[in-house]
Amino acid sequence: MTGLSVGEKLFIQGGIAQDLRTDGRKRLTYRPIYVETGVIPQANGSARVRLGGTDVIASVKAEIGRPSPMQPDKGKVAIYVSCSPTAAPMFEGRGDEELSAELSIALQRCLLGGKSGAGAGIDLSSLVVVEGKVCWDLYIDGLVVSSDGNLLDALGAAVKAALSNTGIPRVQVAADTTGEDQPEVDISDEEFLQFDTSNLPVIVTLTKVGRHYIVDATSEEESQMSSAVSISINRRGHTCGLSKRGGAGLDPSVILDMISVAKHVSEQLMNKLDSEISAAEAIEDDS
Amino acid sequence: MAGKASATPATYSPSPATRKGKPTIYKDGDRDWVRPDGRGFQQCRPAFFRTGAVNAASGSAYAEIGNTQVIVSVFGPRESKKAMMYSDVGRLNCNVSCTTFSTPIRGQDFDQGSDHKEYSSMLHKALEGAIILESFPKTTVDVFALVLESGGSDLPVIISCASLALADAGIMMYDLVASVSMSSLGSDLVIDPISEEESYQDGSLIISCMPSRYEVTQLTITGEWSTNKINEAMQVCLDACGKLGKIMRSCLKEATSATSE
Repeated sequence: MTGLSVGEKLFIQGGIAQDLRTDGRKRLTYRPIYVETGVIPQANGSARVRLGGTDVIASVKAEIGRPSPMQPDKGKVAIYVSCSPTAAPMFEGRGDEELSAELSIALQRCLLGGKSGAGAGIDLSSLVVVEGKVCWDLYIDGLVVSSDGNLLDALGAAVKAALSNTGIPRVQVAADTTGEDQPEVDISDEEFLQFDTSNLPVIVTLTKVGRHYIVDATSEEESQMSSAVSISINRRGHTCGLSKRGGAGLDPSVILDMISVAKHVSEQLMNKLDSEISAAEAIEDDS
Repeated sequence: MAGKASATPATYSPSPATRKGKPTIYKDGDRDWVRPDGRGFQQCRPAFFRTGAVNAASGSAYAEIGNTQVIVSVFGPRESKKAMMYSDVGRLNCNVSCTTFSTPIRGQDFDQGSDHKEYSSMLHKALEGAIILESFPKTTVDVFALVLESGGSDLPVIISCASLALADAGIMMYDLVASVSMSSLGSDLVIDPISEEESYQDGSLIISCMPSRYEVTQLTITGEWSTNKINEAMQVCLDACGKLGKIMRSCLKEATSATSE
């Protein structure tokens, strides 16, 4: 991790205590977000999100598959994150496994909702083509290109942008679907259906440094954290997932306080992200 | 192990009614549904703990909560591997595995694959805040958990059992870690769900806390929750953690008084 001197550590901690961080932000201010969509032509949807020095790419690929027998009326979504060694030398080889798995699980928890599919940001029943036989499998892949803290929030934003950029081809099913056989499908390469992303939550990570907590921590600030709580919140202000990192215990009342702060912050982030995404889409359409 | 458990019916008696899974008659809007094992919504299953389950380990514990049976061994502290960098705090290494016969369908957990890794990392996160890692620099403590039978709320049972095994091994801790989960089914909240309830759940909340310090070491939420619901669920769970902590504490006391006799 970043090697910091005692003076630098104190400077960061002191700044956070005084609500003036090293880069001039307040505790609850995000770095500027830049969104680019359609960065990967081969994917059905893709987006790149930059948040200060953090740079992530998310891509969405849709493939025809079979629904699982347990849930015949739902499509399947897989979310994976990988960290490129271009971001940091320690990600080389299998060095990224631990972080990648942690980020993947956190994203799955935040976006996919409960086991029955309730509260999921992605409506799985909209992915079904023929119940029990044909559905879309969505593969959502996140890539960390450059890392300067707050990867989860950036990945969450990138997935949201990539999904709103996603067009799923319209499918024509052959008429005789009564038999046991797998029905034949005809995938259109001209007509695309837009994906409904209005229910997708945003992820807000609150990092606790000293007695205060901050949003959008840089990696220097993250090295000073005692614990961090990532909360995903949808437009209705409901919590869709929560995970905690870092060892130090937290008082239950602090966690509840964090949830209400995250709720407040998420509204601003959601609006900012939406306008960035639509701006990015407009640029893409022009070119 | 089951023989041991039935020998002490004062703390735990296996109820044969829960052995066979009945189809849940839970429907949306039905306010008076009964849980498959007849418990109240805020009633935990009876818990049985015993330390010293494995002789070769520095410390070990066995937990049986309802049908869920877990065994945890702790080895160490031992010297960290040479490849590891120098560290002035101790390392904690956690591993969770399931037996192939732990689930109704053999090896069910294996095709999901990630479950073990996920549990291992969650166990690590839940415990690291409670252990005084400074007390064993340059060394590693291994925590190996084995799920003998998966009967729902597996992870909370593993976490509680592991903290008991750590205490049995004499690893310095701030407090025991007690863990409880809660499922949201429709508009209802049920504590300590069994597998059947977990498969229907709309959301889950797992909380691990140090009861005497009243601090949360780990909290995970899935599914959609309103703030009020989280509030309510946390209160109920923390309350249950406190009670579970007392049972774990008394188990440790029993073990030491038995050896001193």
